[in-house]
Amino acid sequence: MTTPAAKILPPPPEAAPAPCPAEPGRLARIFLPNRAVDRPTMLALVALWALGAFVVWLASPWETLPRPGEVWTAFGALWWKGGMGPELFTTLKLITHALVLTIAISMALSYLTVIAFFRPLVAAISKLRFLGLTGLVFPLTLLTGGGYALKVVLLTFGMTTFFVTAMAQVVMEIPREQFDYLRVLGASEVRILWEVVVRGTIDKAFDITRQNLAMGWAMITMVEGISRAEGGIGAMILNQNKHFHLAEVYAILFAILGFGLLLDYLMGLFVRLVCPYVAFERVAR
Amino acid sequence: MTAAGPPTPPPAAHHEALSAAGPGEILLDVEDVCLRLGDNQILEKVSFQVKDRVRPGQVTGQVVGLLGPSGVGKTRLIRLIAGLDRPDSGSITGIHKQPLQAGTVGVVFQDYPLMRHQTVLGNMIVAGLASGLPRADAAAKARALLDRFGLGDRLGFYPAQLSGGQRQRVAIAQQMMRQKQLLLMDEPFSGLDPVTLAEVTKLLVEVANMDELNTVVVVTHDVRSALVVSDTVFMLGRNRGPDDKAVTGACIQHCYDLVVEGLAWRPGIEGEPRFREVEHEVRDRFRVL
Repeated sequence: MTTPAAKILPPPPEAAPAPCPAEPGRLARIFLPNRAVDRPTMLALVALWALGAFVVWLASPWETLPRPGEVWTAFGALWWKGGMGPELFTTLKLITHALVLTIAISMALSYLTVIAFFRPLVAAISKLRFLGLTGLVFPLTLLTGGGYALKVVLLTFGMTTFFVTAMAQVVMEIPREQFDYLRVLGASEVRILWEVVVRGTIDKAFDITRQNLAMGWAMITMVEGISRAEGGIGAMILNQNKHFHLAEVYAILFAILGFGLLLDYLMGLFVRLVCPYVAFERVAR
Repeated sequence: MTAAGPPTPPPAAHHEALSAAGPGEILLDVEDVCLRLGDNQILEKVSFQVKDRVRPGQVTGQVVGLLGPSGVGKTRLIRLIAGLDRPDSGSITGIHKQPLQAGTVGVVFQDYPLMRHQTVLGNMIVAGLASGLPRADAAAKARALLDRFGLGDRLGFYPAQLSGGQRQRVAIAQQMMRQKQLLLMDEPFSGLDPVTLAEVTKLLVEVANMDELNTVVVVTHDVRSALVVSDTVFMLGRNRGPDDKAVTGACIQHCYDLVVEGLAWRPGIEGEPRFREVEHEVRDRFRVL
Protein backbone atom coordinates (compact mmCIF):
# COMPACT_ATOMS: atom_id res chain seq x y z
CA MET A 1 0.00 0.00 0.00
CA THR A 2 1.33 3.33 -0.90
CA THR A 3 0.64 6.39 1.04
CA PRO A 4 -0.96 9.14 -0.89
CA ALA A 5 1.58 11.54 -2.10
CA ALA A 6 1.61 14.64 -0.09
CA LYS A 7 0.40 17.57 -1.96
CA ILE A 8 3.51 19.28 -3.11
CA LEU A 9 3.12 22.95 -2.86
CA PRO A 10 5.23 25.18 -5.00
CA PRO A 11 7.88 26.92 -2.98
CA PRO A 12 6.78 30.30 -1.79
CA PRO A 13 8.18 33.10 -3.89
CA GLU A 14 11.34 34.43 -2.34
CA ALA A 15 10.59 37.48 -0.39
CA ALA A 16 12.16 40.47 -2.00
CA PRO A 17 14.76 42.04 0.25
CA ALA A 18 13.28 44.85 2.24
CA PRO A 19 14.29 48.12 0.69
CA CYS A 20 16.48 50.31 2.81
CA PRO A 21 14.31 52.91 4.50
CA ALA A 22 14.64 56.20 2.72
CA GLU A 23 16.77 58.71 4.55
CA PRO A 24 14.45 61.40 5.95
CA GLY A 25 14.80 64.82 4.43
CA ARG A 26 16.36 67.81 6.12
CA LEU A 27 13.02 69.14 7.31
CA ALA A 28 11.93 65.76 8.69
CA ARG A 29 15.24 65.26 10.50
CA ILE A 30 14.73 68.30 12.71
CA PHE A 31 11.57 66.76 14.16
CA LEU A 32 12.77 63.14 14.47
CA PRO A 33 14.42 61.92 17.68
CA ASN A 34 18.14 61.01 17.81
CA ARG A 35 19.07 62.69 14.53
CA ALA A 36 22.07 64.86 13.90
CA VAL A 37 21.63 67.98 11.83
CA ASP A 38 24.29 69.91 9.96
CA ARG A 39 25.61 73.27 11.09
CA PRO A 40 23.65 75.46 8.64
CA THR A 41 20.42 73.74 9.70
CA MET A 42 21.23 74.30 13.36
CA LEU A 43 22.03 77.97 12.71
CA ALA A 44 18.73 78.30 10.86
CA LEU A 45 16.95 76.74 13.86
CA VAL A 46 18.63 79.18 16.24
CA ALA A 47 17.64 82.09 14.02
CA LEU A 48 14.08 80.79 13.86
CA TRP A 49 13.78 80.53 17.65
CA ALA A 50 15.33 83.99 18.11
CA LEU A 51 12.88 85.43 15.61
CA GLY A 52 10.03 83.68 17.43
CA ALA A 53 11.12 85.15 20.76
CA PHE A 54 11.34 88.60 19.18
CA VAL A 55 7.83 88.28 17.75
CA VAL A 56 6.49 87.17 21.14
CA TRP A 57 8.21 90.18 22.69
CA LEU A 58 6.67 92.53 20.12
CA ALA A 59 3.24 91.03 20.60
CA SER A 60 3.48 90.90 24.38
CA PRO A 61 0.49 92.44 26.17
CA TRP A 62 2.49 93.20 29.37
CA GLU A 63 2.68 96.90 30.04
CA THR A 64 5.76 96.46 32.20
CA LEU A 65 7.75 94.96 29.36
CA PRO A 66 9.36 97.78 27.42
CA ARG A 67 9.33 97.68 23.62
CA PRO A 68 12.50 96.55 21.82
CA GLY A 69 13.06 100.08 20.50
CA GLU A 70 12.92 101.52 24.03
CA VAL A 71 15.45 98.98 25.26
CA TRP A 72 17.74 99.67 22.31
CA THR A 73 17.55 103.43 22.93
CA ALA A 74 18.22 102.91 26.63
CA PHE A 75 21.20 100.70 25.82
CA GLY A 76 22.68 103.38 23.57
CA ALA A 77 22.17 106.03 26.22
CA LEU A 78 23.72 103.90 28.94
CA TRP A 79 26.66 102.89 26.75
CA TRP A 80 27.54 106.34 25.41
CA LYS A 81 26.46 108.59 28.30
CA GLY A 82 25.72 106.36 31.30
CA GLY A 83 29.20 104.84 31.68
CA MET A 84 28.17 101.26 30.99
CA GLY A 85 31.55 100.48 29.42
CA PRO A 86 33.63 101.43 32.49
CA GLU A 87 31.08 99.68 34.76
CA LEU A 88 31.42 96.49 32.74
CA PHE A 89 35.19 96.78 32.98
CA THR A 90 34.89 97.11 36.77
CA THR A 91 32.75 93.98 36.88
CA LEU A 92 35.09 92.06 34.58
CA LYS A 93 38.04 93.02 36.79
CA LEU A 94 36.18 91.80 39.87
CA ILE A 95 35.10 88.50 38.37
CA THR A 96 38.54 87.85 36.86
CA HIS A 97 40.15 88.45 40.25
CA ALA A 98 37.70 86.08 41.94
CA LEU A 99 37.99 83.48 39.18
CA VAL A 100 41.79 83.39 39.34
CA LEU A 101 41.63 82.89 43.10
CA THR A 102 38.91 80.23 42.69
CA ILE A 103 40.93 78.30 40.11
CA ALA A 104 44.11 78.43 42.21
CA ILE A 105 42.40 77.31 45.43
CA SER A 106 40.10 74.75 43.85
CA MET A 107 42.67 73.08 41.63
CA ALA A 108 45.14 72.80 44.51
CA LEU A 109 42.47 71.31 46.77
CA SER A 110 41.18 68.94 44.08
CA TYR A 111 44.63 67.60 43.23
CA LEU A 112 45.28 67.14 46.95
CA THR A 113 42.48 64.55 47.02
CA VAL A 114 45.00 62.03 45.70
CA ILE A 115 46.53 62.21 49.20
CA ALA A 116 44.23 60.55 51.73
CA PHE A 117 45.21 63.02 54.48
CA PHE A 118 43.54 65.94 52.67
CA ARG A 119 40.34 64.19 51.57
CA PRO A 120 38.28 65.13 54.66
CA LEU A 121 39.30 68.78 54.27
CA VAL A 122 38.29 68.85 50.61
CA ALA A 123 35.02 67.06 51.38
CA ALA A 124 34.26 69.62 54.10
CA ILE A 125 34.92 72.56 51.76
CA SER A 126 32.71 70.93 49.16
CA LYS A 127 29.87 70.67 51.69
CA LEU A 128 30.05 74.42 52.37
CA ARG A 129 28.19 74.96 49.11
CA PHE A 130 25.00 74.47 51.11
CA LEU A 131 25.73 77.69 53.01
CA GLY A 132 23.88 80.62 51.51
CA LEU A 133 25.95 83.66 50.58
CA THR A 134 23.44 86.06 52.14
CA GLY A 135 24.06 84.74 55.61
CA LEU A 136 27.79 85.00 55.13
CA VAL A 137 27.80 88.67 54.20
CA PHE A 138 27.85 89.93 57.77
CA PRO A 139 30.68 87.75 59.17
CA LEU A 140 32.71 88.23 55.99
CA THR A 141 32.22 91.99 56.14
CA LEU A 142 33.68 91.93 59.64
CA LEU A 143 36.58 89.80 58.43
CA THR A 144 37.38 91.72 55.26
CA GLY A 145 36.32 95.22 56.12
CA GLY A 146 33.81 95.27 53.26
CA GLY A 147 34.16 96.90 49.84
CA TYR A 148 36.09 95.29 47.01
CA ALA A 149 37.74 92.68 49.25
CA LEU A 150 34.35 91.50 50.49
CA LYS A 151 33.03 91.12 46.97
CA VAL A 152 36.08 89.14 45.87
CA VAL A 153 35.79 86.88 48.91
CA LEU A 154 32.07 86.30 48.42
CA LEU A 155 32.46 85.44 44.74
CA THR A 156 35.50 83.27 45.40
CA PHE A 157 33.70 81.42 48.19
CA GLY A 158 30.60 80.89 46.08
CA MET A 159 32.51 79.57 43.11
CA THR A 160 35.15 77.59 45.02
CA THR A 161 32.70 75.35 46.86
CA PHE A 162 31.11 74.27 43.58
CA PHE A 163 34.40 74.11 41.67
CA VAL A 164 35.97 71.89 44.32
CA THR A 165 32.95 69.59 44.31
CA ALA A 166 33.05 69.11 40.55
CA MET A 167 36.82 68.93 40.20
CA ALA A 168 37.35 66.55 43.13
CA GLN A 169 34.78 64.27 41.54
CA VAL A 170 36.70 64.36 38.25
CA VAL A 171 39.91 63.41 40.04
CA MET A 172 38.24 60.65 42.04
CA GLU A 173 36.75 59.17 38.88
CA ILE A 174 40.07 58.71 37.09
CA PRO A 175 40.18 54.96 36.38
CA ARG A 176 42.75 52.99 38.34
CA GLU A 177 44.02 51.61 35.02
CA GLN A 178 45.42 55.02 34.15
CA PHE A 179 47.62 55.01 37.24
CA ASP A 180 48.64 51.37 36.73
CA TYR A 181 49.39 51.99 33.08
CA LEU A 182 51.97 54.63 33.97
CA ARG A 183 53.31 52.55 36.85
CA VAL A 184 54.12 49.68 34.52
CA LEU A 185 55.92 52.16 32.28
CA GLY A 186 58.15 52.86 35.28
CA ALA A 187 56.87 56.38 35.96
CA SER A 188 57.44 57.94 39.37
CA GLU A 189 54.41 58.88 41.44
CA VAL A 190 55.15 62.57 40.78
CA ARG A 191 55.13 61.99 37.03
CA ILE A 192 51.91 59.97 37.38
CA LEU A 193 50.36 62.87 39.29
CA TRP A 194 51.43 65.30 36.56
CA GLU A 195 50.37 63.22 33.56
CA VAL A 196 47.26 61.50 34.87
CA VAL A 197 45.81 63.85 37.46
CA VAL A 198 46.91 67.30 36.26
CA ARG A 199 47.36 67.09 32.48
CA GLY A 200 44.91 64.24 32.04
CA THR A 201 42.04 66.24 33.54
CA ILE A 202 42.96 69.74 32.36
CA ASP A 203 40.20 69.85 29.73
CA LYS A 204 37.64 68.98 32.38
CA ALA A 205 39.11 71.62 34.69
CA PHE A 206 38.59 74.20 31.93
CA ASP A 207 35.03 73.02 31.43
CA ILE A 208 34.34 73.40 35.14
CA THR A 209 35.97 76.83 35.06
CA ARG A 210 33.59 77.72 32.25
CA GLN A 211 30.59 76.63 34.30
CA ASN A 212 31.86 78.52 37.34
CA LEU A 213 32.45 81.62 35.31
CA ALA A 214 28.78 81.47 34.31
CA MET A 215 27.83 80.95 37.96
CA GLY A 216 30.01 83.86 39.12
CA TRP A 217 28.60 86.06 36.38
CA ALA A 218 25.08 85.19 37.52
CA MET A 219 25.98 86.09 41.14
CA ILE A 220 27.51 89.41 40.16
CA THR A 221 24.37 91.52 40.58
CA MET A 222 23.83 90.32 44.11
CA VAL A 223 27.48 90.67 45.12
CA GLU A 224 27.97 94.11 43.58
CA GLY A 225 24.78 95.26 45.22
CA ILE A 226 26.32 94.71 48.66
CA SER A 227 28.72 97.59 48.23
CA ARG A 228 27.79 99.91 45.40
CA ALA A 229 30.52 102.46 45.97
CA GLU A 230 32.96 100.66 43.63
CA GLY A 231 30.35 100.55 40.88
CA GLY A 232 30.07 97.70 38.42
CA ILE A 233 27.25 96.46 36.23
CA GLY A 234 25.48 94.92 39.24
CA ALA A 235 25.44 98.24 41.08
CA MET A 236 24.27 99.92 37.89
CA ILE A 237 21.25 97.65 37.47
CA LEU A 238 20.28 98.04 41.13
CA ASN A 239 20.39 101.84 40.74
CA GLN A 240 18.13 101.62 37.69
CA ASN A 241 15.80 99.27 39.58
CA LYS A 242 15.48 101.81 42.36
CA HIS A 243 14.29 104.47 39.91
CA PHE A 244 12.03 102.04 38.07
CA HIS A 245 13.80 102.69 34.73
CA LEU A 246 12.51 99.54 33.10
CA ALA A 247 14.02 100.03 29.66
CA GLU A 248 17.42 100.66 31.25
CA VAL A 249 17.06 97.58 33.46
CA TYR A 250 16.34 95.40 30.44
CA ALA A 251 19.18 97.00 28.51
CA ILE A 252 21.58 96.15 31.34
CA LEU A 253 20.16 92.62 31.56
CA PHE A 254 20.83 92.15 27.86
CA ALA A 255 24.34 93.51 28.34
CA ILE A 256 24.95 91.04 31.21
CA LEU A 257 23.62 88.18 29.10
CA GLY A 258 25.57 89.23 26.01
CA PHE A 259 28.88 89.63 27.84
CA GLY A 260 28.30 86.37 29.69
CA LEU A 261 27.81 84.56 26.39
CA LEU A 262 30.87 86.28 24.94
CA LEU A 263 33.01 85.19 27.90
CA ASP A 264 31.67 81.65 27.57
CA TYR A 265 32.44 81.60 23.85
CA LEU A 266 35.98 82.90 24.40
CA MET A 267 36.51 80.31 27.11
CA GLY A 268 35.33 77.59 24.70
CA LEU A 269 37.77 78.82 22.05
CA PHE A 270 40.58 78.74 24.59
CA VAL A 271 39.74 75.14 25.60
CA ARG A 272 39.71 74.06 21.95
CA LEU A 273 43.08 75.73 21.43
CA VAL A 274 44.75 74.25 24.52
CA CYS A 275 43.09 70.81 24.40
CA PRO A 276 42.63 69.94 20.69
CA TYR A 277 42.18 66.23 21.50
CA VAL A 278 38.75 66.92 23.02
CA ALA A 279 37.34 67.69 19.55
CA PHE A 280 38.64 64.35 18.24
CA GLU A 281 37.11 62.49 21.17
CA ARG A 282 33.73 64.06 20.43
CA VAL A 283 34.03 62.97 16.81
CA ALA A 284 35.19 59.51 17.92
CA ARG A 285 32.08 59.10 20.04
CA MET B 1 50.85 15.35 24.62
CA THR B 2 50.30 17.65 27.51
CA ALA B 3 52.99 18.48 29.92
CA ALA B 4 50.32 18.45 32.58
CA GLY B 5 49.36 15.71 34.92
CA PRO B 6 45.79 14.43 35.29
CA PRO B 7 43.03 16.89 34.41
CA THR B 8 42.43 18.08 37.92
CA PRO B 9 45.45 17.24 40.04
CA PRO B 10 45.65 18.58 43.56
CA PRO B 11 47.05 22.10 43.34
CA ALA B 12 50.08 21.38 45.48
CA ALA B 13 51.34 18.84 42.98
CA HIS B 14 51.35 21.27 40.09
CA HIS B 15 54.64 23.01 40.33
CA GLU B 16 56.96 20.45 38.85
CA ALA B 17 54.39 18.89 36.58
CA LEU B 18 53.44 22.09 34.83
CA SER B 19 56.86 23.44 33.97
CA ALA B 20 57.23 24.23 30.29
CA ALA B 21 59.88 21.85 29.04
CA GLY B 22 63.04 23.53 27.84
CA PRO B 23 66.72 23.37 28.23
CA GLY B 24 67.24 27.00 29.14
CA GLU B 25 67.10 28.94 32.32
CA ILE B 26 63.93 29.89 34.11
CA LEU B 27 62.59 33.23 32.86
CA LEU B 28 59.43 33.38 34.93
CA ASP B 29 58.67 31.34 38.01
CA VAL B 30 55.22 31.59 39.57
CA GLU B 31 55.18 29.45 42.67
CA ASP B 32 52.17 28.61 44.84
CA VAL B 33 50.59 32.01 44.41
CA CYS B 34 47.40 32.59 46.38
CA LEU B 35 45.14 35.62 46.34
CA ARG B 36 42.00 36.24 48.31
CA LEU B 37 39.66 39.21 47.90
CA GLY B 38 37.16 39.47 50.73
CA ASP B 39 35.44 36.11 51.02
CA ASN B 40 36.51 34.98 47.56
CA GLN B 41 39.54 32.84 47.02
CA ILE B 42 40.58 34.09 43.57
CA LEU B 43 43.85 32.25 43.02
CA GLU B 44 44.95 29.15 44.87
CA LYS B 45 48.48 27.83 44.59
CA VAL B 46 49.00 28.95 41.02
CA SER B 47 52.33 27.56 39.86
CA PHE B 48 54.04 27.52 36.51
CA GLN B 49 57.41 28.21 34.98
CA VAL B 50 58.55 29.63 31.69
CA LYS B 51 61.99 28.53 30.53
CA ASP B 52 64.18 29.82 27.77
CA ARG B 53 63.70 27.72 24.67
CA VAL B 54 66.86 27.54 22.65
CA ARG B 55 67.00 26.97 18.91
CA PRO B 56 70.60 26.87 17.68
CA GLY B 57 71.32 29.63 15.22
CA GLN B 58 68.08 31.46 15.88
CA VAL B 59 66.92 34.05 18.35
CA THR B 60 63.82 32.53 19.87
CA GLY B 61 61.79 34.30 22.48
CA GLN B 62 58.92 32.65 24.27
CA VAL B 63 55.22 33.18 23.69
CA VAL B 64 53.14 31.73 26.47
CA GLY B 65 49.37 31.53 26.35
CA LEU B 66 47.43 31.76 29.58
CA LEU B 67 43.94 30.53 28.82
CA GLY B 68 40.99 30.75 31.10
CA PRO B 69 37.31 31.64 31.10
CA SER B 70 36.11 35.14 31.91
CA GLY B 71 36.18 35.97 35.60
CA VAL B 72 38.57 33.18 36.55
CA GLY B 73 41.27 35.55 37.77
CA LYS B 74 43.51 35.99 34.72
CA THR B 75 43.73 39.75 35.04
CA ARG B 76 44.39 39.42 38.78
CA LEU B 77 47.25 37.08 37.97
CA ILE B 78 48.62 39.59 35.44
CA ARG B 79 48.56 42.32 38.07
CA LEU B 80 50.50 40.08 40.45
CA ILE B 81 53.12 39.17 37.85
CA ALA B 82 53.41 42.84 36.86
CA GLY B 83 54.16 43.76 40.46
CA LEU B 84 51.08 45.98 40.73
CA ASP B 85 49.60 43.86 43.52
CA ARG B 86 51.09 41.45 46.02
CA PRO B 87 49.94 37.88 46.46
CA ASP B 88 48.76 36.72 49.87
CA SER B 89 51.32 33.95 49.66
CA GLY B 90 53.66 32.42 47.14
CA SER B 91 56.34 34.03 45.04
CA ILE B 92 56.80 35.38 41.53
CA THR B 93 60.32 35.80 40.22
CA GLY B 94 61.97 36.52 36.90
CA ILE B 95 65.38 35.76 35.47
CA HIS B 96 67.97 34.79 38.11
CA LYS B 97 65.17 34.56 40.67
CA GLN B 98 64.83 38.35 40.75
CA PRO B 99 61.51 39.51 42.26
CA LEU B 100 59.37 41.34 39.71
CA GLN B 101 58.44 44.95 40.43
CA ALA B 102 56.12 47.41 38.72
CA GLY B 103 58.03 49.11 35.94
CA THR B 104 60.27 46.13 35.19
CA VAL B 105 57.54 44.09 33.52
CA GLY B 106 55.75 45.32 30.42
CA VAL B 107 51.98 45.16 30.48
CA VAL B 108 49.61 45.93 27.64
CA PHE B 109 46.25 46.25 29.32
CA GLN B 110 42.96 45.38 27.73
CA ASP B 111 41.59 48.34 25.72
CA TYR B 112 45.13 49.71 25.44
CA PRO B 113 45.00 52.79 27.69
CA LEU B 114 47.05 55.68 26.38
CA MET B 115 47.39 59.26 27.57
CA ARG B 116 44.55 60.95 25.75
CA HIS B 117 46.11 64.39 26.03
CA GLN B 118 49.36 63.34 24.39
CA THR B 119 50.00 62.65 20.73
CA VAL B 120 51.36 59.27 19.69
CA LEU B 121 54.89 60.67 19.82
CA GLY B 122 54.12 62.37 23.15
CA ASN B 123 52.89 59.08 24.60
CA MET B 124 56.09 57.40 23.53
CA ILE B 125 58.28 60.20 24.91
CA VAL B 126 56.54 60.06 28.29
CA ALA B 127 57.21 56.30 28.34
CA GLY B 128 60.85 57.03 27.58
CA LEU B 129 61.12 59.72 30.26
CA ALA B 130 59.43 57.40 32.74
CA SER B 131 62.08 54.82 32.07
CA GLY B 132 64.86 57.33 32.70
CA LEU B 133 65.85 58.32 29.16
CA PRO B 134 66.77 61.95 28.44
CA ARG B 135 64.10 63.68 26.32
CA ALA B 136 66.17 63.78 23.12
CA ASP B 137 67.05 60.09 23.36
CA ALA B 138 63.45 59.23 24.18
CA ALA B 139 62.22 61.13 21.11
CA ALA B 140 64.77 59.44 18.83
CA LYS B 141 63.97 55.99 20.17
CA ALA B 142 60.23 56.69 19.96
CA ARG B 143 60.48 57.67 16.28
CA ALA B 144 62.52 54.58 15.48
CA LEU B 145 60.08 52.27 17.27
CA LEU B 146 57.03 53.88 15.71
CA ASP B 147 58.59 53.47 12.26
CA ARG B 148 59.23 49.83 13.03
CA PHE B 149 55.63 49.35 14.11
CA GLY B 150 54.29 51.03 10.99
CA LEU B 151 53.15 54.15 12.81
CA GLY B 152 55.70 56.59 11.45
CA ASP B 153 52.95 58.62 9.80
CA ARG B 154 50.88 58.86 12.98
CA LEU B 155 53.30 60.74 15.22
CA GLY B 156 51.10 63.80 15.62
CA PHE B 157 47.84 61.91 16.02
CA TYR B 158 45.96 61.76 19.30
CA PRO B 159 44.73 58.38 20.64
CA ALA B 160 41.14 59.28 19.72
CA GLN B 161 42.24 59.46 16.08
CA LEU B 162 43.66 55.92 16.04
CA SER B 163 41.99 52.61 15.28
CA GLY B 164 41.97 49.85 17.91
CA GLY B 165 44.82 48.03 16.15
CA GLN B 166 46.91 51.19 15.99
CA ARG B 167 46.30 51.91 19.66
CA GLN B 168 47.44 48.41 20.48
CA ARG B 169 50.64 48.86 18.49
CA VAL B 170 51.37 52.14 20.25
CA ALA B 171 50.75 50.44 23.61
CA ILE B 172 53.19 47.65 22.72
CA ALA B 173 55.76 50.10 21.35
CA GLN B 174 55.52 52.11 24.58
CA GLN B 175 56.50 49.05 26.57
CA MET B 176 59.57 48.68 24.39
CA MET B 177 60.91 52.13 25.24
CA ARG B 178 62.55 50.37 28.15
CA GLN B 179 64.35 47.06 27.88
CA LYS B 180 61.86 44.60 29.37
CA GLN B 181 62.12 40.91 28.84
CA LEU B 182 58.70 40.04 30.11
CA LEU B 183 55.66 41.46 28.36
CA LEU B 184 52.16 40.62 29.60
CA MET B 185 49.24 41.18 27.27
CA ASP B 186 45.70 41.14 28.59
CA GLU B 187 43.19 39.93 25.99
CA PRO B 188 45.13 41.18 22.96
CA PHE B 189 42.80 39.44 20.50
CA SER B 190 39.46 40.66 21.75
CA GLY B 191 37.37 42.54 19.24
CA LEU B 192 39.87 42.29 16.39
CA ASP B 193 38.86 41.57 12.81
CA PRO B 194 40.61 38.62 11.09
CA VAL B 195 43.14 40.80 9.25
CA THR B 196 44.13 42.72 12.38
CA LEU B 197 44.20 39.48 14.34
CA ALA B 198 46.76 38.04 11.92
CA GLU B 199 48.81 41.25 12.17
CA VAL B 200 48.75 41.17 15.96
CA THR B 201 49.75 37.51 16.02
CA LYS B 202 52.71 38.29 13.76
CA LEU B 203 53.64 41.29 15.86
CA LEU B 204 53.63 39.28 19.09
CA VAL B 205 56.00 36.72 17.62
CA GLU B 206 58.26 39.50 16.32
CA VAL B 207 58.33 41.16 19.72
CA ALA B 208 59.13 37.87 21.42
CA ASN B 209 61.91 37.08 18.96
CA MET B 210 63.69 40.39 19.42
CA ASP B 211 65.71 38.80 22.20
CA GLU B 212 66.45 35.24 23.23
CA LEU B 213 65.28 35.91 26.78
CA ASN B 214 62.09 37.75 25.82
CA THR B 215 58.83 36.26 27.00
CA VAL B 216 55.41 37.41 25.91
CA VAL B 217 52.57 36.12 28.08
CA VAL B 218 49.26 36.34 26.27
CA VAL B 219 46.29 36.18 28.61
CA THR B 220 43.14 35.34 26.72
CA HIS B 221 40.02 33.23 26.42
CA ASP B 222 40.49 32.92 22.65
CA VAL B 223 41.57 29.28 22.34
CA ARG B 224 42.50 29.25 18.67
CA SER B 225 44.53 32.47 18.73
CA ALA B 226 46.36 31.34 21.85
CA LEU B 227 47.30 28.04 20.22
CA VAL B 228 48.39 29.73 16.99
CA VAL B 229 50.70 32.21 18.62
CA SER B 230 52.06 30.33 21.65
CA ASP B 231 54.74 27.76 22.19
CA THR B 232 53.30 26.86 25.59
CA VAL B 233 49.72 27.15 26.80
CA PHE B 234 48.65 27.07 30.42
CA MET B 235 45.00 26.68 31.33
CA LEU B 236 43.78 28.48 34.40
CA GLY B 237 40.61 27.23 36.03
CA ARG B 238 38.91 26.22 39.26
CA ASN B 239 38.59 22.75 40.66
CA ARG B 240 34.97 21.71 40.69
CA GLY B 241 32.98 19.49 42.99
CA PRO B 242 30.50 16.77 41.98
CA ASP B 243 27.73 19.33 41.56
CA ASP B 244 29.95 21.25 39.09
CA LYS B 245 30.35 24.14 41.49
CA ALA B 246 33.80 25.68 41.88
CA VAL B 247 35.27 24.47 45.15
CA THR B 248 38.60 26.28 45.06
CA GLY B 249 40.26 29.37 43.69
CA ALA B 250 41.80 29.14 40.25
CA CYS B 251 45.01 27.25 39.59
CA ILE B 252 46.80 25.92 36.53
CA GLN B 253 44.81 22.92 35.38
CA HIS B 254 46.67 21.90 32.23
CA CYS B 255 49.76 22.73 30.27
CA TYR B 256 50.26 22.16 26.55
CA ASP B 257 53.82 22.16 25.25
CA LEU B 258 53.23 23.00 21.61
CA VAL B 259 56.94 22.71 20.75
CA VAL B 260 56.92 19.07 21.80
CA GLU B 261 53.71 18.68 19.81
CA GLY B 262 55.40 20.14 16.75
CA LEU B 263 52.80 22.90 16.69
CA ALA B 264 54.96 25.92 17.32
CA TRP B 265 57.22 28.22 15.34
CA ARG B 266 55.64 27.41 11.99
CA PRO B 267 53.30 29.58 9.93
CA GLY B 268 49.98 28.15 8.79
CA ILE B 269 49.95 25.67 11.64
CA GLU B 270 46.23 26.01 12.15
CA GLY B 271 45.57 24.10 8.93
CA GLU B 272 47.21 20.91 10.20
CA PRO B 273 45.07 18.01 11.45
CA ARG B 274 47.09 17.70 14.66
CA PHE B 275 46.45 21.35 15.44
CA ARG B 276 42.72 20.80 15.08
CA GLU B 277 42.87 17.80 17.38
CA VAL B 278 44.68 19.79 20.05
CA GLU B 279 42.34 22.71 19.58
CA HIS B 280 39.37 20.40 20.00
CA GLU B 281 40.87 18.93 23.17
CA VAL B 282 41.63 22.35 24.62
CA ARG B 283 38.11 23.54 23.90
CA ASP B 284 36.68 20.47 25.63
CA ARG B 285 38.79 21.17 28.69
CA PHE B 286 38.02 24.86 28.55
CA ARG B 287 34.31 24.14 28.94
CA VAL B 288 34.79 22.65 32.37
CA LEU B 289 37.35 25.11 33.69
